[in-house]
Amino acid sequence: MDSALQRAADLLAQARLPVFGGLFTDVNGATAALALAQKLGGVIDHAASDGTCRAARVMRETGSTPASFGEVRNRADTVVLIGDHPRERDAELLQKLFPGETLPRPGDNKRELIVVGAKKGKVPTGVRTTEIGGKNTLPEVVALLAAATREMPFETRDAALGKKVLSAGKRLRESAFAVFVYDPAELEEPVLHTVLETVRHLVKTTRAATLSLSAPGNGEGVNLCSIWTCGLPVRTSFAGDVPENNMWAFEAERLLKSGEADALVWIDALDGAEAPPPTRAFRGIPSVVLSSKPVKAGRDDVVIEVGAAVADHDAEVYLPPISGIGAVKATSADSNKPTVADVLGKIGTLIDEKGAA
Amino acid sequence: MLIQLKGGRVIDPAHNRDAVGDIYLENGRIVEKPDGREPDEVHDVSSKIVMAGAIDVHSHIAGTNVTLGRQLMPELPLIAAAEGQPILPSTAQWGAYATGIRYAEMGYTTVIEPAMIPTHAIQAHKEMASIPIIDVAGLVVLGNDDYTLNLLRKGNVKSDELKDYVAWTLAHSKALGLKVINAGGSEAFKFNARTFDLDEEVPEYGVTSRGIVEAMQQVVADLGVPHPPHVHTNNLGIAGNVETAVATLEATQGHPIHLAHIQFYGYGKEGDKGFSSGAPALMEAINKHKNATVDVGQVLFGQTVTISGDVLRQFDGRRAANPKKWVINQAEGNGTGVVPYNYKKKSFVNALQWAIGLEIFLLAEDLWRVLFSTDHPNGALFTRYPEIFHLLMDRDERARWFDSLPEASRQVSGLAGISRELTLSELAIITRAAPAKVLGMTDRGHLAPGAVADVAVYTEQKNKTKMFAAADLVFKSGKVVVRKGNVVNISWGRCFHVDPGFDRQIEKRVHSFYDTYYGADPRWFGVTETFSDRPDRFATIRCAR
Ligand SMILES: [Zn+2]
Repeated sequence: MDSALQRAADLLAQARLPVFGGLFTDVNGATAALALAQKLGGVIDHAASDGTCRAARVMRETGSTPASFGEVRNRADTVVLIGDHPRERDAELLQKLFPGETLPRPGDNKRELIVVGAKKGKVPTGVRTTEIGGKNTLPEVVALLAAATREMPFETRDAALGKKVLSAGKRLRESAFAVFVYDPAELEEPVLHTVLETVRHLVKTTRAATLSLSAPGNGEGVNLCSIWTCGLPVRTSFAGDVPENNMWAFEAERLLKSGEADALVWIDALDGAEAPPPTRAFRGIPSVVLSSKPVKAGRDDVVIEVGAAVADHDAEVYLPPISGIGAVKATSADSNKPTVADVLGKIGTLIDEKGAA
Repeated sequence: MLIQLKGGRVIDPAHNRDAVGDIYLENGRIVEKPDGREPDEVHDVSSKIVMAGAIDVHSHIAGTNVTLGRQLMPELPLIAAAEGQPILPSTAQWGAYATGIRYAEMGYTTVIEPAMIPTHAIQAHKEMASIPIIDVAGLVVLGNDDYTLNLLRKGNVKSDELKDYVAWTLAHSKALGLKVINAGGSEAFKFNARTFDLDEEVPEYGVTSRGIVEAMQQVVADLGVPHPPHVHTNNLGIAGNVETAVATLEATQGHPIHLAHIQFYGYGKEGDKGFSSGAPALMEAINKHKNATVDVGQVLFGQTVTISGDVLRQFDGRRAANPKKWVINQAEGNGTGVVPYNYKKKSFVNALQWAIGLEIFLLAEDLWRVLFSTDHPNGALFTRYPEIFHLLMDRDERARWFDSLPEASRQVSGLAGISRELTLSELAIITRAAPAKVLGMTDRGHLAPGAVADVAVYTEQKNKTKMFAAADLVFKSGKVVVRKGNVVNISWGRCFHVDPGFDRQIEKRVHSFYDTYYGADPRWFGVTETFSDRPDRFATIRCAR
């Protein structure tokens, strides 16, 4: 282990632009990765950051209107479910959003579900559901619904769809609390803007919000940690005098493919979630791999086995039911394996010692 | 190691001290001058000003709400720097690390985060633990949460259970005290109310805002929590709201209360524009209610972002967003509103707000009850405190600013008629001694033996902005952390909290509540001793009972 740490320190100390990718880790692991990236002038990115980055950029431009999972579950009278991702990510999502018992909620409407740009599928019993899709693409139906909500004219050749859209728009205006549920990884930026504009229109007269699904692999926890550390979300570079964020330029995979990055720290150490490896795997770029699973790596790569957060050690990670970072006890007591934070901390110390020598 | 600070002008209003003398530090504490022992280290501070480390009673430095603000406005430090505000043009400047550094450089050693969300206490504590040097504490927000409201439901008051619930929440989130933000107003917002007054009832629950605050005052008094309920009342920022603030004070019935950022409630509705200074009326009430303390929430001109759990008020305020973007986050309890704002010197209202804040300080009969704050970042960034100290201590400086305000604002402001200049001792009261007293942190805010060795040394200058922007020397727990305005040594502070006892039955009830309504386990958001790998991270402030 000690020699692996030393080799990792040597490898990283020589790097011109190391990129910290994967980042399937807990908040402590993210804190340590950010500290090391700042020390080395590297880049940080999370392996499931497409949606996070897109949502971050849209928010920076026009703001956001989030509701917590608990508020939606207890108080939304109309849930607009957009796309397939939300249910792919959590098969029980609708059961959770339509529980048997709720806190007092505004208005007298019966709770309703509107499924947009996806098949209705299995829905909770007793919940009136409308499917809006037909042969149109998701961006098209979202745009139609947005127009109908604002009572603006729209055209569609599908008369049945047109009727449904009109009535859905009316229902949204008459809702006491309408919430749009989506995964930002599934929606392009213009669609995200359309959804947010619709909410901002509705709140002039009633209550409305969005529930944006958090990224897998503690993507939201890592992102929040990055923001309180340096003021910016993931895909941030510490190579210059001040941190710089750019969702295109500092995407880990692009930096690896283009050869701009000359070292990779790959972190995959979270129970129940597997980081998709960068397409070129670890080949060609000197890599330090911290993983809780067996890893195929190149001969010169440094592989360090670490514990899986939540399984092997207690961890703080983003928990969707509380829409925030929570603490989870380890499922197994066996924790001889080091944590990501331990390992990165030690590598940092070795680099400091090397610098001082 | 015995350290001597030799020959400085020691200003310690807690002990009526303002005289040249020595201070001795050993093992992280201030000690008596030891007999027959030579100090190991002597700092010649002759002709310098020596004060206790400063304490900020209300500054939004950590947690979900602040990070939401950072997400919306990463460019805040860049805009502020371009305007000439004292902050470096880097997004990292309003990250956790820079926060500790900049506070320390100004001589601050303890800062209170006033709005921890119970279910997000973990994030607040994670962020606070990333802030170097300063000690911290959080106030936890209740009063718009369904558990509390259900207990206060009309005719359903089970005061013991509320007491247990508040105690459990304080302990579970490791908070120093209780914060109440627009009691009932955020909950009413969820039922589509867009205004909410002191005597309005929360839909479905029937309890009034006044009822919630009174119940919380009673509970906090019963639990013996040293810091009284820290209250952000209704109608913030609205013309004529001084009446609400005065009514809230009248309603306190002698129980202690702390009213936050009172400047935002100091508004009358006189004059052509229907907006006037309510400072004289407000200060008359505050001067009279001896159990009330306040912090001011001074505003300064320039770019900032407002971050508040008063989601109803922020929703209304979204129209004034500058730049034009805002966040309304609807969540358990209060939720959050984030609205960027630029206070303009040329604006009638903003100019008057600036003057009202200063009037409040300067009309205070008892500065022990009128504490310094800007409600960072809501009124101004904390990096600008020295400018405000300057305004309070130097009437020429005040006049210089005042003369550049719009004529209409000058005509209706009483500020020009106030010649008072705060003394160094008075400044030490509002930035050290009084916050410590109000928070129940008896080991700080003063320089008597036994106090923690948090000491700030300044070079006396006519220009108070310069004087307080960069301390000559700062000791944190007896170690030098700042020299000549620059941090020279990174240390990590402690986090203070109370731990009132409660009947363990409450744990089962709370568990069942979260399980039923949220599909969540309260242990997920409990802050435990093992939370930090720094062994002495947490310290308990004793409750009176
Ligand atoms: Zn505040």
